[in-house]
Amino acid sequence: MIRMGEAEEISSKQKQISVSEFFEKNKHFLGFDTLQRAVITAVKESVDNSLDACEEARILPDIRVELQRTKSDELQMTAQDNGPGIPRDAIENVFGKFLLGSRFHAIRQTRGQQGIGITGVVMYSQLTTGSKTRVVSKIKSDSSAVYVDLGIDTKKNKAIKSGEKRDVWVDDKTGEEVSHGLRIRTLMKAKYQRGKKSVYQYLRMTSIVNPHASITLVVRDKEGEIVEEGQWLRTTDKLPRVVEEIKPHPHGIHLGTLQRMMREAQDRRMTSFLNNNFSGVTRRAAKQILEVAEIEETRTPKRIKAEEAQAVVSAFQTVKLLKPPMDCLSPIEDLLIKKGLSKAIDSRFASTVTRSPSVSQGNPFQIEVGLVFGGDIAADGPIEILRFANRVPLMYQQGGCLLTKALESVDWKRYGLDQPGGTGIPKGPAAVLIHLASTNVQFTSEAKEAVSFDETVFDEIRKAMLEVGRGLKNHLKKSSQRKKAKEKFELVNIILPEISRKSSELLDREEPDLAPVITQIMNAVFLEEELSWNKEDKLSMCSITVHNYTARARAYTILAKWPEGPDTAMSHNPTGGRKETKGLWAWRLDTLDPGTSTVLEFGISGLSKGEWNETDIFFRGNGEIIGATKMDENLLEEQRKTEALEAAMEEVRKKENDAMIETLAIRAEQPPAPSDHVEQAEVLLEEAPPSTGEWRFGMEGDDQ
Amino acid sequence: MSDAAPRRSKEQVVEALHDVAAEMHNKMQRGDPPRMTLPVRSKSNISFDNRLGVFKYGKKKTVRDATSLGSARQLLRTLHITEFIEEMIDNGKSSTLREMYYISEAWGHGKFGTQNESNNLAEDLEIVTKCLREDFKLRPEEDGARIIGNITVEERNRRGDWMRINCRDDVGDSGYGVPYNVESEKLRLVDEDIDFVMAIETGGMFDRLIENGFDEEARCALVHLKGQPARSTRRIMRRISDEWKKPIVVFADCDPWSFRIFASIAYGAIKTAHISEYLATKEATYLGITADDILAYDLPSDDLTKQDTGALEAELSDPRFSSGYWQDQIKLMQEMGKKAEQQSLAKYGLDFVTDTYLPEKLDAIGLGYR
Repeated sequence: MIRMGEAEEISSKQKQISVSEFFEKNKHFLGFDTLQRAVITAVKESVDNSLDACEEARILPDIRVELQRTKSDELQMTAQDNGPGIPRDAIENVFGKFLLGSRFHAIRQTRGQQGIGITGVVMYSQLTTGSKTRVVSKIKSDSSAVYVDLGIDTKKNKAIKSGEKRDVWVDDKTGEEVSHGLRIRTLMKAKYQRGKKSVYQYLRMTSIVNPHASITLVVRDKEGEIVEEGQWLRTTDKLPRVVEEIKPHPHGIHLGTLQRMMREAQDRRMTSFLNNNFSGVTRRAAKQILEVAEIEETRTPKRIKAEEAQAVVSAFQTVKLLKPPMDCLSPIEDLLIKKGLSKAIDSRFASTVTRSPSVSQGNPFQIEVGLVFGGDIAADGPIEILRFANRVPLMYQQGGCLLTKALESVDWKRYGLDQPGGTGIPKGPAAVLIHLASTNVQFTSEAKEAVSFDETVFDEIRKAMLEVGRGLKNHLKKSSQRKKAKEKFELVNIILPEISRKSSELLDREEPDLAPVITQIMNAVFLEEELSWNKEDKLSMCSITVHNYTARARAYTILAKWPEGPDTAMSHNPTGGRKETKGLWAWRLDTLDPGTSTVLEFGISGLSKGEWNETDIFFRGNGEIIGATKMDENLLEEQRKTEALEAAMEEVRKKENDAMIETLAIRAEQPPAPSDHVEQAEVLLEEAPPSTGEWRFGMEGDDQ
Repeated sequence: MSDAAPRRSKEQVVEALHDVAAEMHNKMQRGDPPRMTLPVRSKSNISFDNRLGVFKYGKKKTVRDATSLGSARQLLRTLHITEFIEEMIDNGKSSTLREMYYISEAWGHGKFGTQNESNNLAEDLEIVTKCLREDFKLRPEEDGARIIGNITVEERNRRGDWMRINCRDDVGDSGYGVPYNVESEKLRLVDEDIDFVMAIETGGMFDRLIENGFDEEARCALVHLKGQPARSTRRIMRRISDEWKKPIVVFADCDPWSFRIFASIAYGAIKTAHISEYLATKEATYLGITADDILAYDLPSDDLTKQDTGALEAELSDPRFSSGYWQDQIKLMQEMGKKAEQQSLAKYGLDFVTDTYLPEKLDAIGLGYR
């Protein structure tokens, strides 16, 4: 049937088929397998792109997503951001980079590791509706915006532009000219669905882990009526920090990757190759690796055979290596998680933990967990689990995900949540956020919705869970103590005087003196603390009242925890007192006579409203205080020691820094080396003190 | 035995109430938290009184003192009730328990949370002061039972006239409504032509027996208990038993709650154990439906609920059910895990209950009429 001369045509046809077919066959992991999911994926790809672009350009993102139903199973998506925009000549590349993105030399935490990106959206639109995707892009330095319609040439596997024009871009909403940004409008076969797996939920979750972004969603039906909308405003102006790209660490390298790296390597010698292309490999370590692998140092990477490469991979595991640097990770950080959660969920209490970065199989990773409790959260069902990998919400396959499994492994009953059967997802008015930041998130499948098992990551999540769990337990204990104290106050201040009045009236007798009765009923010292916000002076106020309802005079030192840091200060403190240790202030109270009370007040500057919601109060002195904890002097001593150590280390670090600057200065003055310049530099580098980062992590390793 | 509970004079009632307030005041004067002492009102503190033949409160006392918020509120409420009762006595008024519950809205921190609370507190005061709620000018909301049968009573009506009523001929289908006060100043038992009284738990069965003409055929008076019988229902049965010497039989569902209904009629209710000697009829007999009946008559049954099982378990240790008969019945029901309604007898037709079941059961206790 096929004539010889048509070979080329066939091959081209096959290619055409293969691109569409590839898409069709892999819809499930590209995220377009159902009509309901297609719209979520489309929104996700464009929002992730916008967030990444804004982050890189250091712009606070304003993102607007509009969905308009056009037919029973067709939607138009419009996604607009205020990002840097895409220069005209790069548009084709960005939207046509189909299945591109070999990022393997550059390792860092990025959102866009999923699916095939925005190209998939353009492709899906074209395949399901035959329409083009309209892009408007404006970069700051241009005077006008580029308008262009995009399709995918399935033969050549690249984007095709049409209808290009330049014009001023005026925003539909504000009526003002847009100075920079990007808008995508595309038609696709899709259905909008509400509930747990919806665009709404996706954006809600996105806003929690991107508190620096403002996101708006409007969904309209065929008649143009709004059927769902959401607005999540930014709660911080702090952009996520810029993450450094790092080289791969040998502990996470497989044979294939190593061989590919060696093939592409420019280095002439294996020592330089190992030293230059991996993190954690010093020149000395490189030499050791080659010694163990029995490979000569002078060999050229390109000529290394497979079995020799295998020996190198094995040697990676035996030679002592430095940990990879951690500045490639961008955690959200406690306070912002708290803010993000509180903007999405109305709760009474939030406990958050950002663990120190850790390493698993050569990949730096970091775990963050937030737990909110009480308030408007439904109490009858299982708690809500919000899973994130590199700030991207994971909405599917909750049960099979490592993050869920680690949560389930915790004995939540001990921390005050109901857990029928002792395992599994606990019940109660709570929601838990789990964020895994990693240079290499390992998923269970190509769908990238569930994180696969990893013991080190599992342990880290568990530790973080236990930490927030302890916070919750503490909070619940305090709440119940506070409730008891409140009841006692009502009893002696309101009910008892009424009993006295009423009974005296009935019997026509004198009212008795209630002071001794109150002492008998209470027979304790009570402490109440109240945190409030002083709008005028922008102070976070704390007021502590101590009542002595005992028959004896009492003397106490009261200690309060406060968020001490570089940006905060104890600005209002009429009672004086002194700093006990970092974040702990102490006041010695005058003797409290029976039946009397005293009030202690202080104010913290440098925080914004709602940032300080809970504190711990301790005391020193005889007898218990209801509402405060007796100071554990051993614990305090330990904390002081840690602090002293930290201070000492900081000093050493500074000196090291100075020393390095000195070394660099000396080196700059040295004349260039006569022969092999590269080698010389390498030697110098090895002799120079290690960088502070490496030194620090080395220290941590020693501590453990 | 038919003596009514001794009534107190107004002065005696006020004095008794003041004693309660005085206990609180005295404590406070001594620098102690105010308190009130009362008997423990649970099954752990009722015991059989040999002389009276019914269950009465034992010697266990509980102290309600103002060391917890809940108890302190109870004390304050008690004082408010005292004041309210004194006012009613002074003004010649009376109120229902429900009215008192609403009046408490104005008592600030002494306000009741639920009507149950106000009812319980009124009972507490009865017990502590040894007065009756009639002395306090408080009356229950609900009326008593309905009676149909050939008995004649005289009731003093609103105008103060004595009205003669035959409970078979002078009443409609709903029968004679028992007033909340059935003491002799309000109600006289005049004449009867019956052999026994049958107390029936559910309205459905009461109506079935009337439709089948059972009261005339078996020569009995039928009393609809309306679930857990009110004080007046129990009191009127007690008077019929005392004054006319007529047997009382109880026909109820077969579940733990029906057993309790019977116990409150025959032995005395836990809540009103302070006046058991006026309310309980020790001669009453439990006719059915028994746990054995479920088996013997192969009755349609339901599984016991969690609450049912809990109630049965509690009854096992209730001194009123300590007899071999009740222990057997309870254990049999626990074994079967089943309960049955009176109306399940309809499995065999509408007349089965009057043609077969009741004649057989009555025959077994010597009240056969055929």
